[in-house]
Amino acid sequence: MSDSRIVFENVSKFYGEVLGVNRVSLSIPPGITSLVGPNGSGKTTLMNLMTGLLRPTRGSVSVCGVPTSDPENLFKLMGYCTQFDSYPKGFTGYDFVHSFLRLAGYEAREAERLAWAAIERVGMQDAAKRKVAGYSKGMRQRIKLAQAVSHDPRVLILDEPLNGLDPLVRAETIALFRDFATEGRHLLISSHVLHEVDIISDQVILMSSGYVVAEGQIKAVREEIEDHPMQILIRCDRPQRLASRLFEHDHVVEVKVHADGQGLLVKTRSADQFYLMMNRIATGDFRIDTVAPVDDDVNSVYGYLIGAEEATR
Amino acid sequence: MNAQWMRQLGAVVSLEWKKSFFNRRSLWIYLLAALPMVIFVGHALETKFTRERLARQRTPQVTMERARTLREGMTPEQVEAILGQAPSRQTRGSRRNRIQSWNYSDGERQINVRFRNGELERWSSNESCNVSEDLHIFAGVYQFFFLRLMVFFGCVFVFLNLFRGEMLDKSLHYYFLAPIRREVVVAGKFIAGLIATTVIFGTSVALQLGALYWHFDGPKLEQYLSQGGGWQHSLAYVAITGLACLGYGSVFLTGGMLLKNPLIPAAVILVWESINGVLPAMLRKLSVIYYLKSLCPVEIPIDKGVPPFLAMLVMNVEPVAPWIAVLGLVVLSGVMVTLAARRSRTLEIQYGAE
Repeated sequence: MSDSRIVFENVSKFYGEVLGVNRVSLSIPPGITSLVGPNGSGKTTLMNLMTGLLRPTRGSVSVCGVPTSDPENLFKLMGYCTQFDSYPKGFTGYDFVHSFLRLAGYEAREAERLAWAAIERVGMQDAAKRKVAGYSKGMRQRIKLAQAVSHDPRVLILDEPLNGLDPLVRAETIALFRDFATEGRHLLISSHVLHEVDIISDQVILMSSGYVVAEGQIKAVREEIEDHPMQILIRCDRPQRLASRLFEHDHVVEVKVHADGQGLLVKTRSADQFYLMMNRIATGDFRIDTVAPVDDDVNSVYGYLIGAEEATR
Repeated sequence: MNAQWMRQLGAVVSLEWKKSFFNRRSLWIYLLAALPMVIFVGHALETKFTRERLARQRTPQVTMERARTLREGMTPEQVEAILGQAPSRQTRGSRRNRIQSWNYSDGERQINVRFRNGELERWSSNESCNVSEDLHIFAGVYQFFFLRLMVFFGCVFVFLNLFRGEMLDKSLHYYFLAPIRREVVVAGKFIAGLIATTVIFGTSVALQLGALYWHFDGPKLEQYLSQGGGWQHSLAYVAITGLACLGYGSVFLTGGMLLKNPLIPAAVILVWESINGVLPAMLRKLSVIYYLKSLCPVEIPIDKGVPPFLAMLVMNVEPVAPWIAVLGLVVLSGVMVTLAARRSRTLEIQYGAE
């Protein structure tokens, strides 16, 4: 099982007396996993631990069964698109990818073929022979991505990969991530832009001040937060009438008529009981158009767990 | 070492050698390497001009054989009868202590005759080109200036920066994110640094020797090269330069990886190497210069007037056989590079902490 997972066993990392991450235990399955948290929450530290660029002060990390202290085998199955924005001097985009493949041990011709394939995958053919130093932020992000995927890794670690990309390229890049995930690979993406995470991830790891505060599928995480009743939007006819019916149930704690008068915002302590109740109501004399949770996104969950202020930081 | 590692090693070397040769910061190394060349080119030019001057001033009847017949107490007239009229004459001193200085030239050397109160006091000759003296000067400059300072600081600069420079440039992760053993990265960087320093400083030595030989006149040069061991000496100096880069390079590679501020250990090593001659026998062997001095083909004569402490610094106490010296340097380098490779396994990328 652990041969297909990224495993952190009680990992702590301290920079002198400064905490990087503390007591992290994770077992991350394949698919798109987002690492979410504000700046300084420990996302990059966790990624650098995963790639062996940092060594844990305590605990151990392995990626698909390979310890992070074995870079030769680790990076055969892993590509890392870092946040570091410095490049070997004088390199063109092509040099950047090609030299990496040569370092990986590929023959010159094979390295050339793979380099062009990766460059094409991120749509950088036209700029590939230009110096990286003259690239825009978005182009640098894409060429780093090309390097990370060039040797066809099973695990892709991407630190804020959508930073600096224009909307069109952003959409293309997200589609690329989905392609990777559907091929059964790991994609671990860090982001502090929460709505971005909602779009792309299968599961999330929420971090704050060096601690993992929650992990798993975002809906499951939301359901575990009992302090905050779930908010559900119902689009229906006769909302006032429906509101009075809903108040008959103990698990419903608040009902508001929506500002446009075309529905209700309901807060419930039990999502399961609520949906059972709605099944009965929907078969009765109300026309229900939509029933949708409004606070099971990463933003809300993070706000409930960490505090709204930090979530928007 | 398998074929994959060899390819990876080649890839690291091909990335690194360009940095070592063409980095803007490498200008310092070229300046360091060029400095002794300036000395020898200057010396060669000065000798050339002197020889031309002496040729112009040549007095036909002046020869060394005739000069050797001069005796103390001779009068100026007697000297003139042997050597002819001096083209250059100087007189100084008081009426009671009158000193006359006559300069002759036989075309190759200057012959100076000195009279005190009308009697020959002494005579001397200065060759425009003295191979033996020049070789000693070269040996002195090479050992105490070139090896101890130029090559030393060149290696400090190149090898300390192999990892530390990339840490400061925030580009070391490029290697550490590739599927390559870190030991191979260390070896590749070291080889590239060694190639660069050996080529730069080896070329400098070759050019210094070229400048030195340039002013030797034909027969003397031919004799030195063919019978005086000139070719062997020249090759030995270039090889010793390569070995110096190997030894110092490995020490600074390791220093740059083990220590946060490697300039302090560089200073300590400089002092350690300088006082090598006064260290106990065991400690003396733990230095690069000890082995290098043992390999130098020309020993430097030490004048009687040199203070004992300075003489200890200059002389090569208990030199070892060349094969032991080479082996000692190779072993020392091997140990150092192994230490660096071990350190690389635990090296972290923490650019913010630098």
